[in-house]
Amino acid sequence: MHPLTLEVLTSRTRRHFLRDSAMALGSVALTMLDGDGSRAATTTASAAHPADAVADPFLPKAGHFAPRAKNVIFLSMSGGPPHLDLFDYKPELVRRDGEDCPESLTKGKQFAFTSGTPKLLGTRQKFAQHGASGAWFSQALPNLAAIADELAIVNSVWTEQFNHGPAELLLYTGFPRAQGRASLGSWVTYGLGSENRDLPGYIVFVSGRSLPSAGKVAWGSGFLPSVYQGVQCRTGGDPVLYLSDPAGMDRGLRRASLDALAELNQIEAERLGQPETITRIAQYEMAYRMQSVVPDTMDINQEPAHVLAAYGAQPGAPTFANNCLLARRLVERGVRFVQLFDWGWDFHGTNAGEEIEAGLVKRCQSMDQPVAALIRDLKQRGMLDDTLVVWTGEFGRTPFREGRTKDGKLLGRDHHPFSNSMFMCGGGLKRGVTHGATDELGWAPVEKPVHPHDLQATILHLLGLDHTRLTYRFQGRDFRLTDVRGEVINDLLA
Amino acid sequence: MRYWHKAIAWAIASVGRLLAPLLLLSMTQFAPATVLAADRPAVDYLRDVRPILARNCFQCHGADDAARQAGLRLDELEPAIAKLESGQRAIVPGEPTQSELIARLTASDPDVAMPPRETGKQLAAAEVDTLRNWIAAGAPYAKHWAYVKPVRPPLATVSDAAWPAGAIDHFVLARLEAEGLKPSSPADRATWLRRASLDLTGLPPTPEEVAAFVDDTRPDAFELTVDRLLASPAYGERWTALWLDQARYADSQGYAPDGPRTIWRWRDWVVEALNANMPYDQFTIEQLAGDLLPTPSPAQVLATGFHRNTQLNTEGGVNLEEFRHAAVVDRVNTTFAVWMGTTLACAQCHNHKYDPLSQREYYQVFSIFNNTDDFNTDEPTVQTAVVGSDAEFATAQAEVAAAQTVYDELTRQRDAAQAEWEKNAAAYDKPPKEIVEILAIAAADRNGKQKDQLADFHRGLSEPWKAADKRLSTAKQQYDQVATSVPIMRDGTPRNSFVSIRGEFLSPGEPVTPGVPAAFHPAPADVKLDRLALARWLVDAENPLTARVAVNRLWQELFGTGLVETAEEFGTQGDPPSHPELLDWLAVEYRDGGWDTKRLLKLLVTSATYRQASQVTPELAARDPHNRLLARGPRTRLSAEMVRDQALAISGLLSTKMYGSPVQPPQPEFGLAAAFGSSTDWKPSEGADRHRRALYTRWRRNLPYPSLVAFDAPERNVCSLRRMRTNTPLQALVTLNDPVFVECAQALARRVLTEATADDAARATRALNLAVGREATPREVARLVSLVALARETLAADPTKANALATDPLGPLPEGVSAVDAAAWTVVANVVLNLDETLSKP
Repeated sequence: MHPLTLEVLTSRTRRHFLRDSAMALGSVALTMLDGDGSRAATTTASAAHPADAVADPFLPKAGHFAPRAKNVIFLSMSGGPPHLDLFDYKPELVRRDGEDCPESLTKGKQFAFTSGTPKLLGTRQKFAQHGASGAWFSQALPNLAAIADELAIVNSVWTEQFNHGPAELLLYTGFPRAQGRASLGSWVTYGLGSENRDLPGYIVFVSGRSLPSAGKVAWGSGFLPSVYQGVQCRTGGDPVLYLSDPAGMDRGLRRASLDALAELNQIEAERLGQPETITRIAQYEMAYRMQSVVPDTMDINQEPAHVLAAYGAQPGAPTFANNCLLARRLVERGVRFVQLFDWGWDFHGTNAGEEIEAGLVKRCQSMDQPVAALIRDLKQRGMLDDTLVVWTGEFGRTPFREGRTKDGKLLGRDHHPFSNSMFMCGGGLKRGVTHGATDELGWAPVEKPVHPHDLQATILHLLGLDHTRLTYRFQGRDFRLTDVRGEVINDLLA
Repeated sequence: MRYWHKAIAWAIASVGRLLAPLLLLSMTQFAPATVLAADRPAVDYLRDVRPILARNCFQCHGADDAARQAGLRLDELEPAIAKLESGQRAIVPGEPTQSELIARLTASDPDVAMPPRETGKQLAAAEVDTLRNWIAAGAPYAKHWAYVKPVRPPLATVSDAAWPAGAIDHFVLARLEAEGLKPSSPADRATWLRRASLDLTGLPPTPEEVAAFVDDTRPDAFELTVDRLLASPAYGERWTALWLDQARYADSQGYAPDGPRTIWRWRDWVVEALNANMPYDQFTIEQLAGDLLPTPSPAQVLATGFHRNTQLNTEGGVNLEEFRHAAVVDRVNTTFAVWMGTTLACAQCHNHKYDPLSQREYYQVFSIFNNTDDFNTDEPTVQTAVVGSDAEFATAQAEVAAAQTVYDELTRQRDAAQAEWEKNAAAYDKPPKEIVEILAIAAADRNGKQKDQLADFHRGLSEPWKAADKRLSTAKQQYDQVATSVPIMRDGTPRNSFVSIRGEFLSPGEPVTPGVPAAFHPAPADVKLDRLALARWLVDAENPLTARVAVNRLWQELFGTGLVETAEEFGTQGDPPSHPELLDWLAVEYRDGGWDTKRLLKLLVTSATYRQASQVTPELAARDPHNRLLARGPRTRLSAEMVRDQALAISGLLSTKMYGSPVQPPQPEFGLAAAFGSSTDWKPSEGADRHRRALYTRWRRNLPYPSLVAFDAPERNVCSLRRMRTNTPLQALVTLNDPVFVECAQALARRVLTEATADDAARATRALNLAVGREATPREVARLVSLVALARETLAADPTKANALATDPLGPLPEGVSAVDAAAWTVVANVVLNLDETLSKP
């Protein structure tokens, strides 16, 4: 008789059974970690043998060294926000507004919708310095400006990719093609597990009525076991797919049916001795708990009015503000990685919603307030020390007017891979700092350039993971998120 | 144990007294677990030496010319024993003390010590000893096993000659006997039939099929049953699903817009080819190069859709050449992964570090694929008859052509008369207001739309023209019923190809001409090396990998894990086979037996190995948790497709309709569009199309069907040769609550209520029998009877709930079935469909 099956047979109640088998499963997973705690592919429970039923892939695991942050809230601004109108203030660009963009900058470079000699475009937003740190913010971000001293702003981000899909793939999976790589959130839950067993370890929300450009691959597990893919939660209907029992089946009937199911499965376990049967019984029990825990967690009606007001959240609405509040509620319950994709930051000047004057100010209202509220809320609850908040788009926008809209009334910018701004905040980071700088036109970094692989290395580092050692063996090669590059941005570490 | 005494004697003799204590220590530690080492030499290059060298040395002293340091190459004998620039020799066979390799590995001076300290690599003392022993034994090198053409090994000798049913079992049993294990007893007939039915057709047997087989006294009952299963059209559907993973088939283009792609007729070609048992060599040639065959048939051209499943990026402002290049790269990588289990992709950016594959060779293969016309769009396509409509297609095509000719002529005549007509049009033909308005505009000033509108009105005044127009539109409609388009491979003007420096398409390096990697057999010198020649090279009898990789994948499907676990990697970085002789025997049998897939599958499922029961003792589970030794039957969770198809089959809802445009079973709304793309609205299919096999479910790369993804279906962006099998709470939610599965439970409830009328026990028995194909035990029946009693009592108190549970979403109840009964049995059916046993191959 298999020891796990013995547990079943000797347990008198379901609760005993679950407690004991969870411990047994946990020990199975633990024995698969190697001695020094490094996490080569073959040492994680699920990766040890892909044919396995994974006993408990989300068992919390120690990283390579002591973590500075336990959880991540990643705010993905899909489309590429115009950083020169938000963070990276370039008075010289304003002064030279309307001049030809120097050919030395554009020569030999390809842009998505611009060719020939475009005109330089200074920002129309008013900029000011804020906080003790004196960081620059445009007037479009009043709430973020007010918490300037919490943020670590990076003005020297660059990438190789000038199309949305490839740029998002590079940022979120470490590789600019959809070639079966795993996403950042998947790597993190693979490396660390999750603290909450009744909720998925990696949860994704999408606002703005559109998928991000990288599609589901942005939170896919690629070559990692599929348990590590992000679980996309919906803002209407069941937040997690198929959470609700069928119409007409109440909780009592569901419980009774699961009891019968567990008993029949136990008979089978007795007959065959297959450990996987025991695992399946445990997974059904976890599903049952999720059925009550998830809706409860997702119910923002439970929040007091002043919290809803601070975020600008409205229960039932499919908004980014609601998702920010949900992110806090999830992290509060130990969810490892929450990622919010917000569509609609592609400011080409092709319509009134995507131009860099009033359109940008209006667009920022639905982002600036909830993000600032989220950071304040985390801080007030003492969660900011353990939680890393990351805000970024997939690339920046050009210091010149976009080619298609150059003669129109609306001002817009093309995709710009060579410079971008982003910010992070929370666990293990310096607060109130601005890192790196671009040249006087905001074209490219002149100091401390940061590539997506550096950003990924830094996020993993803050979580206690060494990006060169967090590997997974696939097709005869040890793959890592940062491919063959990536440097931790030590300047930003507190 | 005799082997160990000999090994120690040998080790002490060769290495000297100093090392003896160490070796004794390792013997006491490892001897009990290493019984299988019998007959193997003490130090085996491939098993013991090469991994150490590969891990620590090959990065700078391996096959990669560009990365080589100090002119030293350690992965082949000749350069490794040659005199170096320094005058030393890295390896002096038989003389470890004179070998510079050992001196460097053991040096304490950091300036000469190897590996360089900054690499962070250092060999353990035992590893140095292994190398020392190997050099002492003469430094025998060997070629990586997978790069040597397989030859048919002699059958392994076994003690229990009665057990083997065929050659396969000899190899399996020999290994078990060497391990001191015994095979399990055979599974009962019902279990075997469920296992074989699921494996061969993807569907469970009906209780009637089980009963007939259990009572079948014919001596060749197993063979006849396998023949029946292999002849079922469901066979092709089941195995096509697997091929689609490798072909990265999807009904959308990928990347941000993820636009729709019409390529399902290629999928149907695969179903037809597999059902017809097309030999694997022909299957290969037609898909890679059907268009290049002499006078190719339409089906052979259609087959080349295989490599048109690559992704497109239609996002605004993309560099088309970048994504054309990416598609060619994907074709190279996919071809070598699927047919040769070789990760050529490593050599895309640099010479392979571990296997003898250079970057230059990579781009030589690239140049073979670099000549097709497609340019980041689905074109070129061909119009093709849907399955079974070749004659209708030809007729419809001819009718469209004929109708078009008449239409064109009449249109020409009418248009020639238009100017004359316009003069008096208003007077005679009472045109509607908008035509009057257009007539008022001078002909030269009318815009395109106005011109068309007027011409159409004028043409429509003619009865013969109207008849011709009607005939043409009818002909086109009929044509559309029997035709579809499919993207195909078509060579255009040959392109010059270059090594892409660091794999970047904008950095062309040295020019290359077509070629195959030199580590393998040469391509014929007298034939132009195009896709056709490459395809023939892949299935050439000299190819060491193609047959092994193919049989390994079949084995993986049936036994849960391949004989080579890393099905996608047979190179030096892959896992060695668990049963090397068996793999080679199967490969030769397949290759020399005409690449006959059905025949090979029949050998596998009728083997004694496959027929074993899957009961496992704690000792065996601990000793061999993944059943690599095969001392028990192969029990695994069902694939994503089988989970769906089986639920539909058990409940009686399954549509057996084959082929055609993909369908949309119900799925929840996400309220999201694809980025820059059309809406991702998912209009659920109607009628029988709601209940088609998973194979026909529309596959969107950016938002794949969630219930398939939950059960580990891949995204299909790139080729996938092996699916993981996970076990998660999200899977439980799918089979408990997805309306598709609720509908199945409702249908199963109605089925048992009408098929088993005696009492609840009879109904419970029937439900279990339908689901798992065996007779239920009294204990199981009693448990379900008590559940139905409880459910009936609860639901009787609330007719609204009972009605919802019985009918939403399946619909109104049949005559004579009460809502409370149907709902209570829906609860039971839901349990039955979620049993671990139901979700598993037994």
